[in-house]
Amino acid sequence: MSEVANAKIKVNISQRFDALTVFQNLKYSVAENEFLCILGRSGCGKTTLANLMTGLTKPTEGAILINDVPVDPKRHELAFVFQEPSLWPWRNVRDNIRIGMEIKKVAPDVVERRLAEMTELVGLKGFESFYPYQISGGMKQRVAIARAFSVDADLILMDEPFAALDAQTRQKMQAEVLRIWEQRKHTVLFITHSLEEAIYLAERIIVLSDKPTTIKGDFVVDLPRPRDFAHPGFLALRKKLSELIGAD
Amino acid sequence: MQTSTVAAQAPSSERLAPRRRQLSRRSRTWITNLVVLASCVALWHVAAVAYDSPFIPRPHDVWLALERLTFQGDVNGHTMWAHTQASLVRVLAGFAAAVVMGVPLGLLMGLYPALYQGTRSLSEPLRFIPPLAWIPIALVTLTGFSRYVFIIWLGAFFPIFIATLVGVPRVEILHKNVAMVHGASKGWIVRKVVIPSILPDIFGGMRVGLGVGWMCIVAAEMIGGDSLGLGKLILKYAEMLRMSEIVAGMIVIGLLGLIMNEILLVFERRLFRWRWEVKL
Repeated sequence: MSEVANAKIKVNISQRFDALTVFQNLKYSVAENEFLCILGRSGCGKTTLANLMTGLTKPTEGAILINDVPVDPKRHELAFVFQEPSLWPWRNVRDNIRIGMEIKKVAPDVVERRLAEMTELVGLKGFESFYPYQISGGMKQRVAIARAFSVDADLILMDEPFAALDAQTRQKMQAEVLRIWEQRKHTVLFITHSLEEAIYLAERIIVLSDKPTTIKGDFVVDLPRPRDFAHPGFLALRKKLSELIGAD
Repeated sequence: MQTSTVAAQAPSSERLAPRRRQLSRRSRTWITNLVVLASCVALWHVAAVAYDSPFIPRPHDVWLALERLTFQGDVNGHTMWAHTQASLVRVLAGFAAAVVMGVPLGLLMGLYPALYQGTRSLSEPLRFIPPLAWIPIALVTLTGFSRYVFIIWLGAFFPIFIATLVGVPRVEILHKNVAMVHGASKGWIVRKVVIPSILPDIFGGMRVGLGVGWMCIVAAEMIGGDSLGLGKLILKYAEMLRMSEIVAGMIVIGLLGLIMNEILLVFERRLFRWRWEVKL
């Protein structure tokens, strides 16, 4: 059910911490340039999943394959947008965006071009030399997004990136991230507990159950963009997801 | 209508207020310091007059001694400047040795806690032995310049080493994760994440270390054969019971320490503006 044809990323894992089973044969795949939302209640292991997807921790059983190779940050190009502001306070906006490119030793002329492109794209032009303490929470997440989209990532992971922002900023950032993704297509795995956020953003939504976590549903969202929260299709899907997830 | 005018005015006056307050706070600090300093000198004068002993110099006597030492030199003809220069070179050499050894060692042991835990029984007791206690050993094992450097190094090393050591585990995991997700090597993370993160800690340790190093100068110059140095100057005049020159030497040591500390503070504020601003 959660398989796609010509998948770029294939996940088939089990994860246990001592007696606690987090995932039991969690199996899904992601197509190239797909915007996939993973939806689950808090405590269902969403962050554990995100960490496993980076390859920095290994699952108890099974594997995560990107282009049929087990995921490895040294071999694959990965990017992560964390929930908390992850900017380095001693670096300005520009030097924070370039971290990924610096590690992957991207050629200097390419770095310059990408920096100009990304600061423009995320609306931080003119703020290049500002330090994290000088900019707002929303702007910090823009920097983190620019950093993620500036490498040619095989996979961009976003773990509740807007959860710490206020409601208005969050909505604005959701629209922004879609706009950026539409201009620079990448495979995105976006983790959230918010039904609206998932429906607004995703091409496809995977719903997780509570522990031991399995896949409860897999939905292709083909509502027209930009999506309207009051659209009947939006509301119908929201109702369906809400019943499935057992939101209280 | 009226409430909206009030609301519109409030932010602008609020924006101006902190700047003005800051400026006045700065000048008030200066004035307070000058008043405190002047009152202390006045109090000292009054006390010295009341005590009326040849061993309690008055501020004016110290000023004259300072003038004499500066322009005519001491009993051996060495000027205050020559003494200052000699002490400064020794303190900076000992301090530099402490930085060169303390920072890498602290970093290494911070990165590999087993290394620190395994050598604790050696390093921790060493930390509590005062530099003065080392003097006899320094006397029999070292000669000349190395004696001074050794005693000052003893004082300056541990504050720098410890500040570096305890800084390493406090580096934000999230900052490291950003680099790890992009596939950074351990060496890259040390250079680009750990060191910038703990640099403010290292600087703090350096300021403390420099202070302790200065405090060891008299002890160090007690054992050095050279007749130059602020510590030596004080010891020389102590033998002659000439209090004015002793106090003059003490004041110069204090002033130099203050200046060096201020210089480091300026560097710190420049380099770690991101940190200072975060704190405020």
